[in-house]
Amino acid sequence: MTRLEDIAHRHDEASALLTEGSRVPAGAPILELKGLQKNYGYVQALKPATITFLAGEIHAIVGENGAGKSTLIKLLTGVITRTAGEVLWCGHPVALSTPNEAIARGINAVHQEVVLCPHLSVAANLFLGDEVERHGLMRKRQMEKMAQSVLDDLGFYLPAAAELGSLTIGQQQLVATARAAMRGTQFLIFDEPTAYLTRQESAQLFKLIRRLQSEGVTIVYISHRMEEVFELADRVSVLRDGTHVGTRAIGETNENELIALMINRSIEQIYHKEDIAIGAPILEARGLTGPGFEDISLTVRAGEIVGLYGLIGAGRSEFALGLYGRQPLSAGEVHWMGRKVKIRNERDAMELGIALAPESRRDQGLCLNLPIGLNINLPVFGRLSRGPVIGRAEEAANADRQIRDLAIKTPSRRVPASSMSGGNQQKIVIGKWLSHGAKLFIFDEPTVGVDVGTKAEIYRLFAKLLKEGAGIILISSYLPEVYELADRLHVFRGGRLVGSHDFHAATHEDVLGEAIGV
Amino acid sequence: MTITTTESPAAAPRRGMNILFSLTLIGLLLALWIALGIVTVSFWTPLNISNLLRQGAMTAILAVGQTFVIITAGIDLSVGAIVGFSTVILAWLLQAGVPLWIAIVITLLMGVAIGAFHGFGIVRMGLPPFIITLATLTSLRGVGLLITNGSTISINNEGFTNFARADFLGIPSLFWMVILVAVPAYVFLHLSRWGRYLFAVGSNSEAARLSGVNVNRTIYMAYILSATCAAFVGVLLASRIGIGNATQAEGWELQAIASSVIGGTSLFGAVGSVHGPLIGAFILATINNGANLLNVNSFWQRIITGLLIIVIVYFDQLRRRGSR
Ligand SMILES: Nc1ncnc2c1ncn2[C@@H]1O[C@H](COP(=O)(O)OP(=O)(O)OP(=O)(O)O)[C@@H](O)[C@H]1O
Ligand SMILES: [Mg+2]
Repeated sequence: MTRLEDIAHRHDEASALLTEGSRVPAGAPILELKGLQKNYGYVQALKPATITFLAGEIHAIVGENGAGKSTLIKLLTGVITRTAGEVLWCGHPVALSTPNEAIARGINAVHQEVVLCPHLSVAANLFLGDEVERHGLMRKRQMEKMAQSVLDDLGFYLPAAAELGSLTIGQQQLVATARAAMRGTQFLIFDEPTAYLTRQESAQLFKLIRRLQSEGVTIVYISHRMEEVFELADRVSVLRDGTHVGTRAIGETNENELIALMINRSIEQIYHKEDIAIGAPILEARGLTGPGFEDISLTVRAGEIVGLYGLIGAGRSEFALGLYGRQPLSAGEVHWMGRKVKIRNERDAMELGIALAPESRRDQGLCLNLPIGLNINLPVFGRLSRGPVIGRAEEAANADRQIRDLAIKTPSRRVPASSMSGGNQQKIVIGKWLSHGAKLFIFDEPTVGVDVGTKAEIYRLFAKLLKEGAGIILISSYLPEVYELADRLHVFRGGRLVGSHDFHAATHEDVLGEAIGV
Repeated sequence: MTITTTESPAAAPRRGMNILFSLTLIGLLLALWIALGIVTVSFWTPLNISNLLRQGAMTAILAVGQTFVIITAGIDLSVGAIVGFSTVILAWLLQAGVPLWIAIVITLLMGVAIGAFHGFGIVRMGLPPFIITLATLTSLRGVGLLITNGSTISINNEGFTNFARADFLGIPSLFWMVILVAVPAYVFLHLSRWGRYLFAVGSNSEAARLSGVNVNRTIYMAYILSATCAAFVGVLLASRIGIGNATQAEGWELQAIASSVIGGTSLFGAVGSVHGPLIGAFILATINNGANLLNVNSFWQRIITGLLIIVIVYFDQLRRRGSR
């Protein structure tokens, strides 16, 4: 018996409810939604949906940003309560009104935004709410050992004693996955698990998912990446604007049909690359060194996209923050339009004409509990003010324009950013910098969690910025994105630049090899 | 790309809710006034009303300053001590023969300096706001006592001490001072970009920083405003009681925080207004005033205030949860 089964077994014994799910034969309905519905005030996040999940299948759910995917998941895991409808678990109606009930029945989820405690260790997070105790005292050492063996067993190679917050977002996502996997799960939901993962980490995750499936676990998999859906899923359901518009067996459908179902129109081309003349250098970094990166030299010219690829933790975001003045540089020079400059803080960078749309929308990008309009306008209030007072009309116009241009799905600019779906939050971060404008845009993982249609739209925006004479640094862990868009592709590994290629000059395999270091 | 943005009747959910909350607070205040008018004969007398306005005025000004700080997710425990200390400084300067206007300006500048010191402690030394302002609270009282040698300094400037007792257009001058502070405060918090920055820093200071907001300056500003409001209240108090005494205004910081919280400010930051704390301060003042008139034991006043805070904040939580 593996460690994982061993720990899962502990849960099996603890809860009689859990065995219910395992009695359903493979291929029979395990979870049925009948007219399940959720309204947030006026917003119909999920219109009455009827979907059946079969025991032992991998069931993908796809749909645009704000289509209601996360809402569906939160309903199933008891995070929110439904407005109407019925859920049958193993044929019996269930309330699923609290997270504990869902967990007790064996329904678990890895949510889109990691919801663990950043100040606790990885082990403590894995066992949170379920600590190993003797005589009322926690067995910290033992928990760490068990956690480590679970992680090793899953092939994640993460330190169990490390503080969770010190890991990258991708690694935290893996911890959340391990946590769900060890709870004796019958039904496991992944909400965009690969958004922050690199290819290598994704591969580990897929292996785990297949393994869980072979152990009889039913998997629900949400993703904006079509190739993953086709690689993993047995069946796929499509949501559009909160409506369930269809379920297909994977063999009987194709990418175009799914996209057409999702957005009700077809997209000829996602990666939009126009022939734009490349001009004079905007920024030259010479031997930049700082916390997390070393000796980085690169040039960005007008009309050019410079792609930075690498595994998570390779130092790309750190480099971006260093360049932007957020972190002090310990060595190297920055030349801006041919002139040597010193960027001491973010405001210096902005003044020169650098914009940074950061990696983590939750920690760095957004003031979540403040209105969308305020978030979009934050960098430009200086421009929107006359004297000390903000021009209310200008403020409204600027926010509304970004909301319209980026098709941010909101009833009003006054809604807090936290009530937006993940992809729409990402659009707010981008909108903020588009309205600010700059000569050099640094986009750090700009399309994380963004749907296909909007992705195409964002790439078209890139082209527009380039035509206006701007340069772009595009950081992405999603190889096809940088590969298809970057005029020059730099590969990072361990904080260093290990390879540079012109557009399509190297193969995917070459680039991956450099990033992993084989 | 098709535009999927839907304009729904929910166009202004947040603002609608906020107005509702303000109206509830005003309703509560009016209900208290009507009830006290019925059960006591002396509540609606001119003397009592102007007393109520005078007492509420000082808490209200403190609460406005406090709110700026709380919006940045901080706290200023020192305001009560600053009030007491300011009475001492002012009385001392007057005793030394400094002209009144100059003495007032120096007192206010001292408030600025104390606020700047708080900003320095938080931004440069990395101290938690709770700690640095707690430290100021105890040490300022100590410094004040040293200056006065534990006693009080009396103020002999007739014009100055008459000010707090004077009326203007039938309304106590101290209440006019609230308006003097509240109008610019409203413009600052709700109409200027500095106000937006306070909210942004309180919500997510890293996001604010990366958006080009000068986070350090914003924090300095919040604490300076709070301490200056407190010094100003010190001047008003000195005028009212005619003495300088370092032990005055004991516990006023809690009154200010309570007013702010009753007025809808969230101690987690990024939620607050100028009008909320003002109403909150007068609700508290009314409760104290009513309790005095009804001859309720002053110990009970404290208990009632505590319960009120729980009830109001609980309802506010319910309201927020409902809109989620
Ligand atoms: N707390 C909330 N309050 C109000 N509306 C909400 C709330 N959470 C979600 N919504 C709305 O419900 C709709 C569905 O959101 P949901 O998060 O399910 O989308 P999603 O399909 O997961 O999108 P994404 O791909 O961007 O993650 C959106 O229009 C969103 O704005
Ligand atoms: Mg989602």
